[in-house]
Amino acid sequence: MGIDIYSIVGSALDAQDARMGAIAANLANVDSITPPGGTPYRAHEVVFEAAPVAGGTAGGAAPDLGRPETWMPETGMPETGMPEMGVSVAGTVQSNAPPVQTYDPGNPYANAKGYVTGSNVSQVDEMVDLIDSSNSYAASVAVLQQSSPVDQQMLASFQVS
Amino acid sequence: MQSGFLNFYSGALSVLQSRADLIADNVANADTPNYKAVDLNFDSALAAQLTDPDTQAAPEYRADGVVGLNGNDVSLDSERVEAAANGQAMMGAATFLRQSTSDLLTALRPNAGGI
Repeated sequence: MGIDIYSIVGSALDAQDARMGAIAANLANVDSITPPGGTPYRAHEVVFEAAPVAGGTAGGAAPDLGRPETWMPETGMPETGMPEMGVSVAGTVQSNAPPVQTYDPGNPYANAKGYVTGSNVSQVDEMVDLIDSSNSYAASVAVLQQSSPVDQQMLASFQVS
Repeated sequence: MQSGFLNFYSGALSVLQSRADLIADNVANADTPNYKAVDLNFDSALAAQLTDPDTQAAPEYRADGVVGLNGNDVSLDSERVEAAANGQAMMGAATFLRQSTSDLLTALRPNAGGI
């Protein structure tokens, strides 16, 4: 198989890694509290975007990057086949859920009414997201592993003995 | 030299390769909002490739996907099945190509008996 499949799977693994990083940061801050007037920790997650596919049939709101159709990021060489494919991180979005308020008057961070402002991270949401992410990661790795024996056979086909 | 099998396997492997890339792209975009899975129609792509080797078949949307809440219709399971099937087809084509090239080499070699 071509080099292309490696760059596609590589971009997928990169993107899922960024997503798992965001999940880890959220879970680490699930019990973070803020003093009154401070900005509480808000859960964030990454949003992916697809690289445009030849013929413009790819879904998603992939922006027009203004690159010529034949531009290739890795080699800079004109390419006759498909333009670049794969996935990239478009950005992060923050959750708008209200921060958790816990009644704990003895806490130095408690406000006048005795409530402490925590983060708005939902552990359940994050764990579900983590499972989904690691599923996608595993699928990408499976595609890579599956392409390896095909590679070997292709190389053997052109071996002149 | 007219070696039709080379042209044929070149076309078939090229289409299978494009499909492998598209399937990898679908798996990579399994969590991309509004992404729709794409694939090649193997029959028409191969026919186009054999008529004109420089042609590049345009990918088409899969019609059988269930669109999720984020507008994505990639099914990881069916993509993996497609990847496996496509890989086996590539293995098959490569195996046949290997046999054909070694047959050609046998025919090109001088006769061992020296006749």
